[in-house]
Amino acid sequence: MSNDGTILARKIRKSFGPKTVLKDIDLEIASGEICCIIGPSGSGKSTVLRCINGLETVDTGVLKVNGEDFGYYETDTAYHALPPKKLAEQRTRVGMVFQSFNLFPNMTAHENIMSGPVLVKGQDKKQAAKRAHELLASVGLAGFGDYYPAQLSGGQQQRVAIARSLAMDPEIMLFDEPTSALDPEKVGEVLAVMKELAKKGMTMVVVTHEMGFAREVADSLIFMDDGYVVERGDAREILTNPKEPRTRAFLEQVL
Amino acid sequence: MGSIDAALKPRLRLRTRSEYAGWVFSILVGIGILTSVLTNPNFKWGVVAQYFTHESILRGLMLTIFLTVASMALGTLLGLGLAIMRSSKVKPVSIAANIYITLFRGTPVLVQLIFWFNISALYPDLFIGIPFTDIGTAIDMNALMAPITAALVGLTLNEAAYMAEIIRGGFSSVGKGQIEAADSLGMSAGTRMRKVIIPQAMPSIIPATGNQVIGMFKGTSLVSVLGVAELLQSAQLIYARTYETIPLLLVASLWYLVMTLLLSYPQSKLEQKYSRATSRLPRKAKKVVALTEPEEGNLR
Repeated sequence: MSNDGTILARKIRKSFGPKTVLKDIDLEIASGEICCIIGPSGSGKSTVLRCINGLETVDTGVLKVNGEDFGYYETDTAYHALPPKKLAEQRTRVGMVFQSFNLFPNMTAHENIMSGPVLVKGQDKKQAAKRAHELLASVGLAGFGDYYPAQLSGGQQQRVAIARSLAMDPEIMLFDEPTSALDPEKVGEVLAVMKELAKKGMTMVVVTHEMGFAREVADSLIFMDDGYVVERGDAREILTNPKEPRTRAFLEQVL
Repeated sequence: MGSIDAALKPRLRLRTRSEYAGWVFSILVGIGILTSVLTNPNFKWGVVAQYFTHESILRGLMLTIFLTVASMALGTLLGLGLAIMRSSKVKPVSIAANIYITLFRGTPVLVQLIFWFNISALYPDLFIGIPFTDIGTAIDMNALMAPITAALVGLTLNEAAYMAEIIRGGFSSVGKGQIEAADSLGMSAGTRMRKVIIPQAMPSIIPATGNQVIGMFKGTSLVSVLGVAELLQSAQLIYARTYETIPLLLVASLWYLVMTLLLSYPQSKLEQKYSRATSRLPRKAKKVVALTEPEEGNLR
């Protein structure tokens, strides 16, 4: 079980039609590590994240999540796609938080959080409700359970979305620009929840433009450009003293 | 000028000459038609009143309602299946659904109805059993395709094609992000369909389905050509005897009109209800509970 919460990628390649968006990506993320991925838009950073929980499939390369080949099983000659049930099982161990929240608008905040445990894991409703209640409180939204997503602010919706992912008890949480769609004044409340989560030892991969968050919370940092990992290493080290000229140019623009 | 404070004076709308002309024209035409309808003795309003609640007319109305309900229900079920097939990633499956929809939407319902009525010319016996073996029984198609069966089959199969398109439209109105969210939670395709896609597709499916029900109600009059004694055929059977063609057509028309109006009301209510679906107010009674003690969420 020592591999729980780890992500390992070797030479991942991914193309959309003629456009290659991931070019030989290598990753190594340890259990409990907080890794931020930064880079210009179109650099492939969101695609990396989407591959890690199977929203996209990689074309070639090795991808192990929680120590298992993700979405495929390996034989002597090829990787064979797993049946949907197996893939779903692997996915439940990886939480995903989207830029546009993607809460289910037909369910209340409470029902959104319960949806995974009840509809996927077949958990007892009472037990799931109790857990949902705790999770809502833990993201600072106690008492908002009966609100529909449309009645919540962006920051509140994103916190519910984080709680919904956490309800599945994943070993890894992926964040795809979680604060990019928020009003500037709501960014802080979502980052605060994420910082709390980081303290608890959750493996987190965060695609973000929040350099302050990266500096404060991240253990490692990856800078991507044009489908390549240009630079990776200690977060504060790269942010203060980037080695690659391309990284330096990017950081000068955003800092 | 005057004693009223200028700031309080009402601001009056401009009335153009064409507005007055419109009033005069509409009223004159209205009065003209109404006088004609009421004074022309050939309308025979007495006969209309006499047959309006005639037993065979009411029986025809019941059959019309039955045909509407049955073929809508079956057509919607079949349409749901076709819509799911149509959005399938397996190409032959989606192409098969597409061909079905194209065929049934591309040919007149009237032709389809007559076709099903005469299907025995194509397949004299319907064989029920295991394909490519002799196990099973053959049923005489002529006996099976009684007029009412043909009517039901024809209306259902045609309706399914339209419902498939409506349902598929509803599916595609659900954002890609919703599907990704469901997938990332590890939901199975079936759960995703039932709990995420269908509930969200309803707001666009329900009003369109209401329109289909109203259309179907009037569309059932086509099966009169098969000799099914629904509303129109019932009226026709009477005027074939009494030669009171117009009054009996009026009887049928009035019933169609009444039923359409009755259906329009719930239809507009449904439309209102579903247009609010995404901005529903919090369930107040429950919220009070929620703030004081752990609520028990009920997942619908």
